[in-house]
Amino acid sequence: MGTFVQLVVDGLSAGSVYAAIALAIVLVHSATGLINFAQGGMAVLSVYIAWWLTTRGVPLIVALLVSIVFSIAFGALVERYLMRRFERGDPDTAVVVTIGLLTLITGVAGWLWTYNNQQFPSLFSLDTVSFLGVSVSQRSLGTTAVIIVVMAALQGLFLGTKLGLALRAVANNPESAAFSGLPVGRLLMVGWGLAAALGAVAGALVAPQLTLTPGMLDNALVYALAAVILGGLTSPVGVVVAAWLIGVLENLAAVYVPFIGYDLKVAVPFILIFVVLLVRPQGLFGRKTVVRV
Amino acid sequence: MNMHSRSRRAVGIALASALALTVSGCGREGDGGGGGGGSRAEGAASPGITDTTVRLGITTPLSGATAGPGTCTVAGVTAWFGAKNAEGGVQFGDGKKRTVEIEALDDAYDPQQAKANYDQLKDDVFAMTAGLGTPTNRAWRDAAIADEVPQALIMTGDPLFSDPEESPWQLGFVPVYQNEGQAFGELLASSGKDHKVAILSQNDDYGAGYVEGFKSAVEGASNIEIVEELTYEATDTSVDAQLTQLAATGADVMFNAMSLVPLAVSSLQKAQQLNWKPSWFLPSNTSSPGGVLEPGGGAAFPGVYSVAFSKAPAGPAAADPDVVEYLAALKQYGNYQDPPAFPHCQWSWMVGATLEQAFGEMTEPTRDAFMTALRGVSGFEAPLMLPGTSVDATQPGQPAVSSVVVQKFNGKGYGTVEAFE
Repeated sequence: MGTFVQLVVDGLSAGSVYAAIALAIVLVHSATGLINFAQGGMAVLSVYIAWWLTTRGVPLIVALLVSIVFSIAFGALVERYLMRRFERGDPDTAVVVTIGLLTLITGVAGWLWTYNNQQFPSLFSLDTVSFLGVSVSQRSLGTTAVIIVVMAALQGLFLGTKLGLALRAVANNPESAAFSGLPVGRLLMVGWGLAAALGAVAGALVAPQLTLTPGMLDNALVYALAAVILGGLTSPVGVVVAAWLIGVLENLAAVYVPFIGYDLKVAVPFILIFVVLLVRPQGLFGRKTVVRV
Repeated sequence: MNMHSRSRRAVGIALASALALTVSGCGREGDGGGGGGGSRAEGAASPGITDTTVRLGITTPLSGATAGPGTCTVAGVTAWFGAKNAEGGVQFGDGKKRTVEIEALDDAYDPQQAKANYDQLKDDVFAMTAGLGTPTNRAWRDAAIADEVPQALIMTGDPLFSDPEESPWQLGFVPVYQNEGQAFGELLASSGKDHKVAILSQNDDYGAGYVEGFKSAVEGASNIEIVEELTYEATDTSVDAQLTQLAATGADVMFNAMSLVPLAVSSLQKAQQLNWKPSWFLPSNTSSPGGVLEPGGGAAFPGVYSVAFSKAPAGPAAADPDVVEYLAALKQYGNYQDPPAFPHCQWSWMVGATLEQAFGEMTEPTRDAFMTALRGVSGFEAPLMLPGTSVDATQPGQPAVSSVVVQKFNGKGYGTVEAFE
């Protein structure tokens, strides 16, 4: 029993890592209609900036704030000077551009800071809290708490504010949004900037555990995309729940389903996606896309 | 494929003969002794070697996730020969002094790229060496055999490369995975106490090799019981679930055959969070004091063990004259500024020293003569080697270095241990 609960808790904390990146992907998608494969790479770049500042003696919290500000600017600039050229064209082209961007950023980070694993300090201590015979680190608890706060803020932004509505309008139909007087270009920059800032937070949360390397988030990105599809591209709550579900089910399947074991557990989220999408093509929490003809 | 490689070989022989005809006028000495039966004309210089220079090729990951160790595999050997070139070159067994040039290409740990790099280099270089990676080195092994290009002292623990029957033009440098697992297993079995062992290994040849070596050493030892054996995938971002399951067994020894630094760090951390503190074994490439044990809190465990054959540049050995000379050369000639975080830099330096030994015994400037000379190196204590280890390329089925010593983490660095405490 103790092991079972511990496995669930372990799964939740692994899921929180996936959820952090998944939220940034949802934000860009809601604001621009694109899936940004470079989300993880941009996050890693921000974390490197924070790390570089801490090695220069800047306190961690200040370094994080600076990196977040940098991320907003960087995200907005990437949108304005790179992505804008592809936004009107085929969405597939734009997605491929983001993959290229991922490769480029990874290469630049490796060139500037080498591929060695760097230790990134954590905001939360590794001391454990025990309850019901289960131990969980403060770092996992802190990560999960931040994820929940961010999730609630995003849900509120998109569903409860004018800015959120405007962002969604631009993503949904840029031309109509422009006709109704929305500053489409600026809103797209805001969307990318916010997503990059969120990515920076996500990266800083997971970097102490994964250790900072240019490819730090590459594997996590796969799980994050799985969570995004499973939870529904439009729903912050959905992707977080999906990410937790993936983390927990993966652990439980590995331990309690003998033929899966640790070798096949990586397939669990994808089988899950397959099944869910057959029944609910919009994902667990997603809204159906309605096209007016 | 057979037809293809045969015809290619025929072309190779024809070319070599033509080459032999054209150059036999000049660089020929001491004819008649050749009873070798190699397909190449005896005595004619192989590609990549002249009377004054020899060119070596490396394909290794210089970008991507394995770039850290990969960069080291180039830096060490470049530093070694950089220093030698500055002294005027390396003395060869044929009496000539040659400077050594190194051409390194990035394969990003991608087997196809490694093969492409090999194809690009093979006609310009005398021998390929030092490159890191099992799948990447495997990708061009067949081609190297067909082309008769040495693939010498490469950084892989795959035993395939050390079998002279199957791999006549190959020789691995570092101990095969089995050597490492076995060394720890022997130490544990001889402790005289009962031990329950938990195993967590990477689900590939790497992990399986360590476990195989360990099991062969503890087989029949009545004091060792393996209570649980789990695996993980090299793409996993977390092994928390495995650690939770292993901690529940209450094992007092953890055999952790893991090649990924972040996972090794988080394994140590997770075990502490679960308040499970067994003695811990880590492979040589993921047991760096600064890179793994400090961030992972290795001092919390009763003992963290690893195996090694090279001195570590940090910690107590920093004042060792070997280490001082090595670090200076690495900086000046290897273009590597910081004290390296990966042992591959030291290993690559030793590859340089071992190559020089082979060059010194090589009586003809041919690839054939080089391989013969290389397979004759034995009992060579290369610079940076720990007492009790040496280069011995004469043993079939073993890499150039197969002797390792077990070491225990002492809070800062490692010290060799004779017994398991």
